[in-house]
Amino acid sequence: MIVLFGLAIGIVAGFFFEPTVPTGLQPYLPIAVVAALDAVFGGLRAHLDGIFDDKVFVVSFISNVLIAALIVYLGDQLGVGGQLSTGVIVVLGIRIFSNVAAIRRHIFHA
Amino acid sequence: MTGTAGTTRPPSSSYGGLLTQIMNDTLDADYQVVAARREREPASRHGRNRLAVVVVLAVFGLMVGVSALRTERSRPEAAAERAALISQIHDRQARLTALHGRLGTLQTDISDAQTSLGNATAAGSRAALRIRTLSTLAGDVAATGPGVVIRADNAEGSTGAGTGGVILDTDLQALVNGLWQAGAEAISINGYRLTALTSIRYAGQAITVDYRSLSPPYIIAAIGNPDALPAQLLETPGGQLWTALRSNFGIRFHLARSQRVVIPADVTDRLRYAVPAGAR
Repeated sequence: MIVLFGLAIGIVAGFFFEPTVPTGLQPYLPIAVVAALDAVFGGLRAHLDGIFDDKVFVVSFISNVLIAALIVYLGDQLGVGGQLSTGVIVVLGIRIFSNVAAIRRHIFHA
Repeated sequence: MTGTAGTTRPPSSSYGGLLTQIMNDTLDADYQVVAARREREPASRHGRNRLAVVVVLAVFGLMVGVSALRTERSRPEAAAERAALISQIHDRQARLTALHGRLGTLQTDISDAQTSLGNATAAGSRAALRIRTLSTLAGDVAATGPGVVIRADNAEGSTGAGTGGVILDTDLQALVNGLWQAGAEAISINGYRLTALTSIRYAGQAITVDYRSLSPPYIIAAIGNPDALPAQLLETPGGQLWTALRSNFGIRFHLARSQRVVIPADVTDRLRYAVPAGAR
């Protein structure tokens, strides 16, 4: 429950303190959020599978965010930022859907 | 998923194609690796990294909050931009329609103007042709063409008027009138163009044409049909007079046909009072 508390604190802090994102990082924030979402759903599924590990979750979260932002940054430098963003979002979206499907199977046993 | 995964991946994931691989290996293999290791050596490291998980999740919440906030903030701006663009599109479309209408009007105007230009050009070229004909006839421009050249001179040895051997102004008037009657189209005497207003008079001892004194011999050039002109001239009163003058008084008269007679323009500008009636 303390985990959910952390999530709630983050969201509330985001809404109330409105931290300014540096303009250079602003284009990568949505992609980073999607990547983080993938890590969070992966962690949730692992938790339901009973194999959740704190260290693995932290590492996968950070690396997901960094790699997604890096890929998009690289695409921007190469002039294919839009296409690479689409690719990253498609792959992460598929993973998120599959993980959510697995989570659903755990919860509803269906 | 079963917790038996090792460091080497199952071969199926290598061959199943990229999409299949993405769809099947959704769970980070690390979870399985760590779980397997924990089964082997059940050292309890639980709780040490719980704080890190909380921090990471807080960061995640922060990211979600910030990006949701940003999207929410930029929504009215985007809507305003969109509305502005739509109104611009409508403005431009209305302008385009107006311009299309104007284009149609202008094209109609152009074709009207082209038609009237064609008419004007045709009328202008007809008028120019008529001006050329009329100015040739009026003596305003030099004329050239086939015709006859008459050389007339006093009788040999005659010196003064009244002896009968001297050409009088009336004689020249009769000759010129005879040439006009015979069908001459342009006449000059000693290089002076005769027009409708030219006078031939006797003044002192000399004949004047337009008050310019001439001395014999008189060269009368006339443009007309060189074959018909001499014969027709003889049938006119002027021609008959000159036949009589030659046979009775010995006045010299010689007529030569020419294929090319040049008659200069009348250089004086005569019309000082008359203007074309009906002109503006």
